[in-house]
Amino acid sequence: MIAALGRVLILASLLAASAGALLGFFAGRSRSADGLKWARRFSYLYASLIISSALLMIYALLAHDFSVGYVAQVGSRQVPTWVTIVSLWSSLEGSILFWGLVLGTYIAAATFFTRGRYEEYQPYAIGVWLASAAFFSFLLAGPANPFHTVPNPPFDGPGPNPLLQNHVLMAIHPPFLYLGYVGMTIPFGFACAALMKGRMGHNVLKPIRESLMLPWIFQTVAIMLGGWWAYEVLGWGGYWAWDPVENASLLPWLTATAALHSIMVVERRGILKGWTVTLIQATFLLVLLGTFMTRSGVFNSVHSFTQSAIGPTILAFLAVSLLFSVALLAFRIDKLEAEGSIEGAASRESMFLVNNLIFVLITFTVLIGTVFPLIVEAVNGKQMSVGRPFFDSMTVPLGAVLLFILGVGPALPWGRATPEQVKKALLPPLAGAVLFAIAAYALGVRSPWTLVTIAFGGYAAQVTLWQMFLPMVQRMRNGQSFGTAFVDSQLRRGRRRFGAYLVHAAVIVAFIAIAISSSMRETHELHFTTGQVQKVGGYEMKFLGVEQRTEPHRLSTIGTFDVTRNGKAVTRLTPRMNQYQMMREPIGTPDVHTTALGDFYISLSNVDSASGTASITVFIAPMVVWIWISVIVMALGALFALVPARRVVATEAKDPLPEGATETA
Amino acid sequence: MNRTVLIVGGIITAVVVVVLFIGLGKNPAEIRTPLIGRPAPTFALLEVGTGRTIDLASLKGKPVILNFWATWCGPCWEEHPVLVANARTLPNVQFLGVVFQDDERKILNFLEQRGSSYPTVVDDRGKTAIAYGVGGIPETYFIDAQGVIRAKYNGPMSSEILQENLKKVLR
Amino acid sequence: MMVLLLLLTLRVPDAEQFVGPPKGTPLTGDALYQRTQEVGHLLRCPVCQGMAVSDSPAEMAVNMKGQVRELLARGYTEEQILRYFELSYGQFVLLRPKMEGVTSMVWILPVLAFALGVVVVIFKLRKLGKAPAPAAAEHQPPTDDPYLARVRDLVGGGKP
Repeated sequence: MIAALGRVLILASLLAASAGALLGFFAGRSRSADGLKWARRFSYLYASLIISSALLMIYALLAHDFSVGYVAQVGSRQVPTWVTIVSLWSSLEGSILFWGLVLGTYIAAATFFTRGRYEEYQPYAIGVWLASAAFFSFLLAGPANPFHTVPNPPFDGPGPNPLLQNHVLMAIHPPFLYLGYVGMTIPFGFACAALMKGRMGHNVLKPIRESLMLPWIFQTVAIMLGGWWAYEVLGWGGYWAWDPVENASLLPWLTATAALHSIMVVERRGILKGWTVTLIQATFLLVLLGTFMTRSGVFNSVHSFTQSAIGPTILAFLAVSLLFSVALLAFRIDKLEAEGSIEGAASRESMFLVNNLIFVLITFTVLIGTVFPLIVEAVNGKQMSVGRPFFDSMTVPLGAVLLFILGVGPALPWGRATPEQVKKALLPPLAGAVLFAIAAYALGVRSPWTLVTIAFGGYAAQVTLWQMFLPMVQRMRNGQSFGTAFVDSQLRRGRRRFGAYLVHAAVIVAFIAIAISSSMRETHELHFTTGQVQKVGGYEMKFLGVEQRTEPHRLSTIGTFDVTRNGKAVTRLTPRMNQYQMMREPIGTPDVHTTALGDFYISLSNVDSASGTASITVFIAPMVVWIWISVIVMALGALFALVPARRVVATEAKDPLPEGATETA
Repeated sequence: MNRTVLIVGGIITAVVVVVLFIGLGKNPAEIRTPLIGRPAPTFALLEVGTGRTIDLASLKGKPVILNFWATWCGPCWEEHPVLVANARTLPNVQFLGVVFQDDERKILNFLEQRGSSYPTVVDDRGKTAIAYGVGGIPETYFIDAQGVIRAKYNGPMSSEILQENLKKVLR
Repeated sequence: MMVLLLLLTLRVPDAEQFVGPPKGTPLTGDALYQRTQEVGHLLRCPVCQGMAVSDSPAEMAVNMKGQVRELLARGYTEEQILRYFELSYGQFVLLRPKMEGVTSMVWILPVLAFALGVVVVIFKLRKLGKAPAPAAAEHQPPTDDPYLARVRDLVGGGKP
């Protein structure tokens, strides 16, 4: 019964989305206020239908209703409740349903927050959102149907992939990723609407910016969580391997970040409109590409879902979306008139342009590296690999340039600047650069790249701090006290600015932490017999023995180590080798002792319970924890910038426009 | 209409869609070998149970079917009877099994229980496997009478697959 | 004695068959360990999902790493070792694409894109610098004061 109800809800959502999309486009073309009203209603209708079907599935999972196909696939009575909820997104069909849940929520929210405003863009935006929604409902109705009925329901099911039950991060990383990925549909709708309308008025910039920023925040955290999970669970001591699916999550983030910057130039100077919409379109298309890469089985990756019939369908949608976006851009981009100009090469605007270029370049490099083996195989049938050595060599220099611009860009003023102004802006932060470089050298950094990164970081840090507190300093010069000035300029009025510079500050810390943790890490391979003590990196380690533990889906061999420093006990670490029933190769789970200064990380490479010996790899990696912390600060800073300012004096017209009228403001 | 956008966009779309479409037809986990047409790397390894050494070079003059396997590999269990049966009906083809990453007792048990009609040798720390570019098991190499590799098959073979690949060697 | 003689007759396929005698100096101790790690990071473990041989706990990877170590200890160069694995596994096993033929494109294209991008930016800066004056004159001078910017947001500024 539940299965049938689910099917009905999904089919209804498909109808609602399709009808709503058509209505939206129609209402946009004919500028019909009634049409818009109905499109909005269908928007809410779609959202409620798809959200209900997702909630129904969650209920079926919790109730262990094995007559529902998906529940029979991943459900289990043996697993804890949180795993049951997590299994909603653990396997293919459920993950598409989860996509629908998130998309429905976003569309409903976007429809709600645009009520009475942006009425010339709304219908087109809704049309685009619901068209995308219709595709995913189509997947759920057809190739990825989670609600098919199981004729003889089993009493119990196999449970989700045991790898996903390994760590609680598996419960958090996918939702954040979906909240990021799926959310990019909304700004895509607005960007298409601007193109279709042939205008990118000042008033549509706010919804574009805010609807881009929120998913960006989720995406940023999601990428960090992915890296953190790889670090804590996979045992090779690193957090980013340039695996195709990791790249898939990074690509849209890169273009979205570029778009967030580009839109600032549109706001200030009315230029780079074409760039901005192109970047937003690219973000959405990269989201579709990423979805394809994860689900099609075309790429060899740790993450991929198993191959299925869904691949060709997503490719078809990607192709259609690409054609649609290219056509829309080709025919409409010239209508987005530039309102201003760039007055000087040494200006903040031109730095934004360079910033765009670098982000696009990094995106292109990562994309081509990821897809290249496929291209080669298509061209001459040979199989080759593009791995970490390529990506690291390419992105490290580009990253350094980015860090450089992060310092120089905000230092330069908007508009035309005299050579004296430029000098006055660009020279003082050199002090920061030198200070940081000296400090780093004094603390033992010798790698040239790391020193360069830290010098750039010091420059950027001085610029960022100065720009961050500039409004406050201005107020204090006008007589305000420190407290009032701080609250007024940073917390009340200047949230967008303060939040943005906070993000930049966190980015600087992240760059430096990544550089130091890579170039200054130590790796040691040690062999222990039970009871043996060895010294490594300032610590003493005592191997206490091997233990074997049998769990329902895996056999764990655990080595226990007592770690002390100068005689004082520091921690007890228990790295493991897990042999899962369904996997051929074992997975080593490390154990990590994290401090503010660095991580002490042990991974088992070989352990023999019979002889009581263990071979381990010890990584001593400085400053790793600062990578995670800085990304969280990035997210918080951006969130802070999103907090809406209090409405001020001018009220906006709320009446719907009469037919034929154009917006005046 | 902006022609630059149309052309650049069109090219990107075409390349992406075509490449991904072709990619859909392939299995990324299947790695093809570069050893076809090259002389089989020679080795002399210890036969399990008997203690005598078997030298690949000494088998020249007869085509050789070289099968890499282990007792902990599920598909190898499926394939074993096919190999044993074919070895019996093809006296002018030399079958040779190479086991690596395994325990000698387990191998002997396995062969006792499931039958054996050709010699099995034990690899030394996977070195022979590496020289042959073995990625997973079971993998089977078809070597002709002059010692040149003519075919390779990844995965468990059925009798038909074995016969088909054997043709390439019996020319 | 017989056992010893027997063991002496054992032979595994040797790198020498593939890439000839060692061309470099044998390594020992810490240098050997470091170089094994480095070369291991250039080789792909064939049974893992794209991981490097240095990073993977799979036995195949451990065997390969052992081979790398032995070859380095005998004085083989990185180039020879990579060539040896390439001859038996194919280019698939090299994590760093070779700078020859079709595969070199993956290195060249980003560099070309960078050059093209620089040209585009310079072009765009020039074009935007020549935009008509009236439009620029209408536009109000930008401000860092967020309050003022907010007022302007609401009151509206510039053409659509």
